[in-house]
This record gives sequence, C-alpha cells and structure tokens, in this order.
Amino acid sequence: MESTSKKVTLSSSDGRTFEVEEAVAFQSQTIKHLYETGYTGDFIPVPNVTGDILSMVLRYCEKHVDSDTAAGKESFYDNKLKRWDALFVKVDQSTLFDLILAADFMNINSLMDLTCKTVANMMKGKTTEEIRGTFNIKNDYTPEAEEMVRRENQWAFE
Amino acid sequence: MGASFSALFIDQDGVSSSSPCLGDLPESCVASIIQHLDPPEICKLAKLNRAFSAASWADFVWESKLPPNYHILVHKILGFVPQNLGKRDIYTRLCRPNTFDGGTKNVWLHKSTGGVCMSISSKGLQITGIDDRRYWNHIPTNESRFHSIAYLRQIWWFEVNGEVEFPFPVGTYSVFFRLQLGRVSRGFGRGICDPEQVHGWDIKPVRFQLWTSGDKHSTWECSLSEAGKWFHYHVGDFNVENPNSSTKIKLSMTQIGCTHTKGGLCLDSVVIYPSAFRERLKHRGFLKCTKPCCHMLHSI
Repeated sequence: MESTSKKVTLSSSDGRTFEVEEAVAFQSQTIKHLYETGYTGDFIPVPNVTGDILSMVLRYCEKHVDSDTAAGKESFYDNKLKRWDALFVKVDQSTLFDLILAADFMNINSLMDLTCKTVANMMKGKTTEEIRGTFNIKNDYTPEAEEMVRRENQWAFE
Repeated sequence: MGASFSALFIDQDGVSSSSPCLGDLPESCVASIIQHLDPPEICKLAKLNRAFSAASWADFVWESKLPPNYHILVHKILGFVPQNLGKRDIYTRLCRPNTFDGGTKNVWLHKSTGGVCMSISSKGLQITGIDDRRYWNHIPTNESRFHSIAYLRQIWWFEVNGEVEFPFPVGTYSVFFRLQLGRVSRGFGRGICDPEQVHGWDIKPVRFQLWTSGDKHSTWECSLSEAGKWFHYHVGDFNVENPNSSTKIKLSMTQIGCTHTKGGLCLDSVVIYPSAFRERLKHRGFLKCTKPCCHMLHSI
C-alpha cells in the first residue's frame, strides 16, 4: 500500500526537523490521532521534546516498526529486540526522564513501559533516603503531612 | 497530559531549559513508574514527596495489582462496598484477614503479590471425635491466627475432613495442614512443648487427600515428625483455570489403624497459598512433606 512509504516531518522544540515514514511516526498515538482527525499541515510540531530526545525516540520507533513488520512475534527477534531495548535505556538519568516525558506526551505505550520499568528497577530494594539521594528528590512535606502519609501507608508494613 | 507539564521545562523561547529530575516528573508519569513496583514498595515511596504520595493513589496502579476477578472477590469477601471506593482502598481491604463462613475461614491478599491466601480454622473442619474430651480439646492460644487450636490427646480413628468453595483467581494453589507434634502451653509467649503425649505417629504415615472440581483426586502419605515446632504439611496442589467460577475443594487427613492409638498433636488450620509460596515456606523451614511435582492432581 502507498501509505507504508508515505513520509511525515516532525519538528522538535528547538526547531530541528526529522523526516520519517508514517508508520514510524504513528507509533505515537498522539501523532496518529492528529492525522486521524484530519491534520493536513506540512510538518508536525512536537513542542515539548528537544531534537536530541526526539531523534532517540524516533530511533526507538523505527526499530520497533521494523520488528513489528519483519519479525512478527518470533522469540528470536523478540529477544534481540529486548537486548536492543536494554541498551537503548542505558543513558543518564536526565535523558531517561526526558524520554519518559516524551513517551508520555507522544503517547508511545511500549516506550513508556520500557523507560518507567527502568526507573522502577533503579528504585527497587532501596530505602527512601537512598532514593532521595540517588534521584535528588526533595521532601516537600510539612511534618503533619508526613505523619499522615506515614499512617496512611502503615498497613503495607504490618 | 502534555499541557500540564509543558510549563515546567520550557522557557519563554519554547526551548527546554533544564534537565528534569525524578522529583519533577508529573504525577501521571510517577504513577507509571511505580506501577512496576510491588505494593509495599509503592507505599514506601509515597513517603518521598507529595507527587509520589498522590501517584500512589492512582487507580490504574492498583488495578494492575488486584486479582483479575477482584469484583467477584469484593462481593464475596466484603459484601457491600461504596461505589466510589478507590482501587487502592479495595486492595488494602482485601489484604486484611477477612473472615467468612461464620468466622471459621480467613481470606486475604498477600500484600506483595496480590495472591489469594486462605486459612480454615480447626473449628471449620470436621474432626472425628471432636466432641469427646477424652480425644480432642479446643485450646486457646496466640500461636494460631484464630486464637484456638484443636489438640488431640489420643485416638484410634484419626480423621479430619474439610471443604471450601471459593472464587479463587486463575492459578495454581497449594494446600497444607498446619500441625505441631506436642502440646503448646496455654497462655502467652512461645508454647512449651510437652512431648510426653506424642505417640503413635511413627508406626504408620498419615494419609493426605485432596479432591477438586472435575473429579480430580490426589493422595499423599507422610509421617509426622519433629515435635515442638509448627509445620505446614503439604496436602496437594490444585489448578484454577476458569476465571469466573467458584472452585470447590475437599481435603482430608487420616491415620486409621485401629491397632494403636496416636496422640499429642496440635491442629491449627488448613492453609491455601499460591503454589509459588511453597519455596518460601521451605526456605524458612516451615514445610514438611513436599509432594513432588509429578504427584500433581490427576483425573480418576
């Protein structure tokens, strides 16, 4: 079909443009939905995502389109793709969070899952203090609120 | 979703100006992260900051932790629940030891895995001779979650039967008797075992049997041993394949040899756990008589 080779152009927040096949861009439900509701512009602005991150996201989408079409669900390709995914998320923290924000905004479920699972694994088995340190999370509770939250969650530890 | 966080990271020129850190992620993204953790971890992370706390209440996070047939479980276990009760509240309530069948059975979700666990008190079992104090006594003790156990002084005809019908979620479950040779002391603290009354168990093994829907039956024999410590004696396993129906199981424990008496046995309960827990019991040294897997239920 003609649509498989049809190209679309995406434009990042810092004005860089990327031309990709429609099937690649449509891994993003946000973009797919935009077209389905009759969008006819020359390019699609992705205002929340920088060029660096968008190029990573598109690389991910390309890889997953290829695997979807060429390999199907065969386990050999499945495992290969999993290894590729594992390498893909070996990035620094802020890149990882940028990817989460991009996956969330562009609504790419599998990328959202992959990146969120990666962060979750980084938190597993750590104390709250260790997590605060690792991820630089500020405690924004008042003492009263903190006590309330403590009580609210106590059931899980009894 | 995008509009709510765009302001965080975009300066006036529309260019991303700062690197996000985990504490800055919007609540929806935090919820997507923590749904990959188990419930105690989610509750622990709620203490980090307000975004984590708010995320720890997201329905979709808990929907993925609840058993697939939780609607049926809620109806069976909790009866009436308010329409607007959040999924986290439902999970929390199902984790409590909820009683049913007149207080003789407890059912709860295992907090970390959401697996359904059940316990049937000695008073919920049919024990031959239980009304004759020469044979059996009910003894109050804090070593039982029901605060009461059945103690066998001595008997010739040792037979205990039980049955339960429950909408177990799809999966494989293991059934155990929780038993101890030797009597526990009344009152508080750790039980003091009196081994004197323990007798007759080395002459012949005890037979454990399990029947489930679809005429499946398994038998397993095992000798009771090691006085003074509570053990889970493995009765057998059963499979639940249909997500919408109730599973009925029957079980028994017998040692019927009229040539000799046996006695000095504490019977606390029958417990049913997801089979994955068997390894955990074994690891903690609470398990006796594990049936080999090939002895799984077979059709008769």
